[in-house]
Amino acid sequence: MDKELFEIKAMEHLTGAASAADTALFESFLDKNPEYKEKFSELKRSWTLLGQLDAPEPSAQMDDSFFTMLSNALQKNKKEESKNMFAGLFGWFKPQFAFGALFLMVGLGVGYFLASNEEKSSNQVVARDKETEAVRQKLILTLLEQPSANQRLQGVGEANKIVAVDEIVIKALLKTLNNDTNVNVRLAAVESLTNYVENPLVRQGLVQAIQNQESPIMQITLANLMVALQEKASIEPFKQLLKNQELDTTVKKKIKNSIESII
Amino acid sequence: MLKVKNGDLDKLGLLYERHKKKLFGFFYNLGNNPSISEDLVQNVFMRMLQYRNSYSGEGAFGAWMFKMARNANYDFHKKTLQTGVLRSTSEIQIKDPMEDRLNEEIEREDNNALLQKALEKLPKGKRELLVLAKYKGLKFSELAQIIGCSEGAAKVRVHRALKELRIIFLELEIG
Repeated sequence: MDKELFEIKAMEHLTGAASAADTALFESFLDKNPEYKEKFSELKRSWTLLGQLDAPEPSAQMDDSFFTMLSNALQKNKKEESKNMFAGLFGWFKPQFAFGALFLMVGLGVGYFLASNEEKSSNQVVARDKETEAVRQKLILTLLEQPSANQRLQGVGEANKIVAVDEIVIKALLKTLNNDTNVNVRLAAVESLTNYVENPLVRQGLVQAIQNQESPIMQITLANLMVALQEKASIEPFKQLLKNQELDTTVKKKIKNSIESII
Repeated sequence: MLKVKNGDLDKLGLLYERHKKKLFGFFYNLGNNPSISEDLVQNVFMRMLQYRNSYSGEGAFGAWMFKMARNANYDFHKKTLQTGVLRSTSEIQIKDPMEDRLNEEIEREDNNALLQKALEKLPKGKRELLVLAKYKGLKFSELAQIIGCSEGAAKVRVHRALKELRIIFLELEIG
């Protein structure tokens, strides 16, 4: 076996890239050639040592910067798409500009006389807005599924930017409120959901969440919210919560006051 | 990545989650300090967005990504050389000697520190090759794709770099 072939076979053997037959051949070659066996064991030691090479964990700031960058890129991408659409339209009509202008005039005239509904003109803008929101909603759902609490917080933050969330996002936020392991994420979810309290699904979800919360800060936040909303349906879950012997005394006092305020 | 290329940009978030540690480790083990390593990871993902149309889907994604990572590292150091800004290499964390630790752990840390030093002394290209090869997910075919040579040549190069590293390591251990 020449030097280069040995180098190749040794690397294949070290990385487990060699086939079973090759491995057997190589091992019998090493057994017959002690000097190569020594060379190989030295190499193996270096390779093992290299495997010990480690690195610290990247900081949470790296995640922040990345998701901010991604969010900006998503917005920029949407803007560019809209721009390209307009550019495409103008490019298409340019040679027939005169005809276009004429048809436009005729169209305006006909439109004026027939008093066509105004909704049509705004349809395109609404469709584009909907598209942007759909992308953002997808991003929210992805972020809320991430193992890092920081990213889930960002997911909730993204939800705050949406004017009209759909049922899927609301359900995802309620799931976060009930099941997230991190109290900060749960708090952010409550805050985000308060933007949609007119929605019966949200109100119902918030009331149902009362009994799922074990953290005093969450219990107090929900109590304050229910008082602000004057939500009578919350009285029963609060009463149930008061039966809990382990409930914090401050929280107990707060809940009693809240029940009285709601009644 | 193909989904990102086709406009589904939020999928980049998933790629980031999957590869951020690998990339960070790559930059860190090339001698960049943690803060610079983080910036370089960010830079790679910005490049991925910018050059997403250049991703053909042929060959492994890892090879495409590390090729970009190599370029990002190269550009960064070229720029710092031009601007005369000194970069600080990754600091080897010195632990309190009074800490009660097992001998094995101490030995492992000492070896690691020595290994970092040996890597620093290795020529840049070889060091990069070993750091890339260290990631078990990377096959020699991918490594060859990244450095632009045949698979056999990649194996030979890694073998020789490893041998050189061992010599430097032993020298440091003695001296």
